[in-house]
Amino acid sequence: MPYDPSDPLKDRITDIGPRYYAEFMPPVIQNNKGKWLYHDILEPGVLMHKAESGDEVYTVRVGGCRLMSVEHLREICQIADKHCDGYLRFTTRNNIEFMVDSKAKVQPLVDDLKSRKFPAGSNKFPIGGTGAGVTNIVHTQGWAHCHTPAIDASGVVKAVMDGIYDEFGHMRLPAPVRVSLACCLNMCGAVHCSDIAILGIHRKPPMIDTDWIDKLCELPLAIAACPTGAIKPAKSEKGQKTLEVNAERCMFCGNCYTMCAAMPLADEDGSGIAILVGGKLSNRISKPKFSKVVIPFIPNEPPRWDTTVAAVKNILDVYAADARKYERLGEWAERIGWERFFEKTNIPFTHHLIDDYRFAYTTWRQSTQFKF
Amino acid sequence: MTEDEARQLILETLKSKSKSKSKFYLKDFYAIVPDMKNREVKNLVNKMVMEGHLEYWSSGSTTLIGLKGMGKQHAEED
Amino acid sequence: MGKHKTPMLDELEKGPWPSFVSDIKQQVENGKHVLKEAPDDLLGVMELSYEDRVTHWKHGGIVGVFGYGGGIIGRYCDQPTNFPGVAHFHTVRVNQPSSKYYTTKFLGDLLDLWEKHGSGLTNMHGSTGDIVFLGTTTDHLEPLFFEMTHELNQDLGGSGSNLRTPECCLGKSRCQYACYDTQEVCHQLTNEYQDELHRPAFPYKFKFKFDGCPNGCVASIARSDMSVIGTWRDDIRIDQKAVAAYVNGEIKPNAGAHSGRDWGKFDIQKEVIALCPTNCMCYDGKTLEINNRECTRCMHCLNVMPQALRVGVDQGASVLFGAKAPILEGAQMSTLTVPFIPMEPPYDELKDLIEKVWDWWMEEGKNRERLGELIQRKSFQEFLRVLELDPDPRMVDEPRSNPYIFWKEEEVEGGWTRDIEAYRAKHQR
Repeated sequence: MPYDPSDPLKDRITDIGPRYYAEFMPPVIQNNKGKWLYHDILEPGVLMHKAESGDEVYTVRVGGCRLMSVEHLREICQIADKHCDGYLRFTTRNNIEFMVDSKAKVQPLVDDLKSRKFPAGSNKFPIGGTGAGVTNIVHTQGWAHCHTPAIDASGVVKAVMDGIYDEFGHMRLPAPVRVSLACCLNMCGAVHCSDIAILGIHRKPPMIDTDWIDKLCELPLAIAACPTGAIKPAKSEKGQKTLEVNAERCMFCGNCYTMCAAMPLADEDGSGIAILVGGKLSNRISKPKFSKVVIPFIPNEPPRWDTTVAAVKNILDVYAADARKYERLGEWAERIGWERFFEKTNIPFTHHLIDDYRFAYTTWRQSTQFKF
Repeated sequence: MTEDEARQLILETLKSKSKSKSKFYLKDFYAIVPDMKNREVKNLVNKMVMEGHLEYWSSGSTTLIGLKGMGKQHAEED
Repeated sequence: MGKHKTPMLDELEKGPWPSFVSDIKQQVENGKHVLKEAPDDLLGVMELSYEDRVTHWKHGGIVGVFGYGGGIIGRYCDQPTNFPGVAHFHTVRVNQPSSKYYTTKFLGDLLDLWEKHGSGLTNMHGSTGDIVFLGTTTDHLEPLFFEMTHELNQDLGGSGSNLRTPECCLGKSRCQYACYDTQEVCHQLTNEYQDELHRPAFPYKFKFKFDGCPNGCVASIARSDMSVIGTWRDDIRIDQKAVAAYVNGEIKPNAGAHSGRDWGKFDIQKEVIALCPTNCMCYDGKTLEINNRECTRCMHCLNVMPQALRVGVDQGASVLFGAKAPILEGAQMSTLTVPFIPMEPPYDELKDLIEKVWDWWMEEGKNRERLGELIQRKSFQEFLRVLELDPDPRMVDEPRSNPYIFWKEEEVEGGWTRDIEAYRAKHQR
């Protein structure tokens, strides 16, 4: 029976969780689950997994925009119906994987994917994102949907991926490079362990809309929202109840704006991008690492964010030319030393890059071992 | 304290504070009825939402809870 | 043609990478979504942000489906008159199936539902792993939820101070490295904790993520309050013939992952033996030997020679706690807490661990304090006492370097109550 608005709780179903994943796995996956022997990347974006049974599954990985329309998803379904018996999957990094159960089915699928372009010319389904290359950028909402972003997300990602597009479809870097973007430091998509992280930051404390704040907001909630206790009650010149921000303690997180729209934070000049590098998640060879801030600020430059794209490209190029096989970006920077990293990448080292937050001391150099 | 008494106490406490503040963290409810176990308070608060006394307010990352229909932003958010 | 001029966004239709602008435009042109103006007005308000270089969205709100404190996030535009199609533009998080496999039937059903009740725009997927339906109005929420649960047997995901939608790598479904069934435990725990997922129970968000091996494809060690990472306790399985085939160049190393550049002939000494972080391997030209007791399971050798080496058969997981993004105390990665736990259904040992952690955090955690911050504030020792775990050198990189041990009275012979008179009998004032 359909939904009855006059009795919304009638026959209500809750707490049933997600659908059971096994319903959605292609037969070749279902049959060989837990019995895979090894895999082989036949060409960038095309994987073969071999099972104990002798079965093989061929996967074609394509980049996707995380912001995706129903029309586009319908097209993805059509492709999966045509080539993959109606099965597909998405990866953690917003790629789409089309799987077929024989090698003969790979080339028609690849040809089909390559032939599809948007009217303005961009590829709908670029193949790649495997091995020692750049895979898709994971990102957050930005100006498409978020209330505290310092930058756009989808647009910056598009511009950066255009700039490093060749590395998505090749496997010629020393190791995988994971690029991630979060549009503010709250990081609803965590980027703090990425080889290259593009992070939106604000640099101006919130403004106070004095005539309106007491009408629009509950002041105690805004005070409580501040992680550093920088907000306190105040009286305006006209005697209105208002708030006051201790600018020196503001860490520019936007949590107050979340609770109170009369405390806007974003600013056309104050907000922009910081670049962090050298993080990793895997335990391969070295332990997981945090990304480190190497460029404290780049202004917002819509629509193509040229300075940011150039900065990412520069870091990637210097790393690609200088690192040893298997060295992740952070491992390379540690081996050559951060002084050499700044020298080779020609990035200026400024006081902003020296930690002065909690545990700052652990990152200062307590040694005479350094390079001239 | 019975569940009904706890319910009444929660409603009265929230009403008395409603002039300055209409939304509370779950932990604030623990403090209103300190002799109840936290998990029971949590269950009661969620039950009071189902009963229509309270409502959730979410920033996306955090959830606050308040009396249904209260708060300065309410009109705009329906 | 859309109703707004978008010259700046149009610049993002150029270049080879898929253009989200072109995609939204095709939805504007051809989409059957019920909120007719939504995609068009989204382009409009984004163009305005491109001109202004600031966002035009505001805060969350009370919207939700009745009785759920999570799954829906309110969103309002600060230019509602100019962009009425996105004036109210709420997000719906839909709990994805484990590992994000779909049939076109199920995905198509979800798309039908979303066309009927929203903007026709999605995120596939959101950062936590959910299917995200991007943008609808309050009046559509209840009907959408009703039809989703009744017709698609599908529920919402988590948001706010709830358990967040758990996420896993593809695990044993298509990966030879997976040491436990990440899909199954993810599904079972999601169902076990539906109440915590839908109704606020905690001081802040709580995330589980399940990685099948230390390669960590789902990033659990950086992004989840509880990171479950597959591991094994016995020996790496070696196929010596396949090792020889790698050495002789008959099999390309790294499963071809480095094949785009000429790195020279594969050199097992340089590329495997010398890079082993514990130097626990040797190769004499005939036999590869691994001193498995010294191996820390970094995965490098397995990644380089997947046809020759396989993970051991005594499989399970390590459990780490406390990762989070930098807000507030600084970024944290999860700390190794349980070196090994068996991972067989019904996962009672893991559930027991989770419930102890939650009880403690619900009791002691401050508002908006993540578990990792609580552990720092109260000490790792306290955390171990709560979990009834014995300390183990595996839990630290190194022992403390300061001697300021917070001794407990019961640890000290004779306790802390002393007799000053007895002291004075021996020492003059």
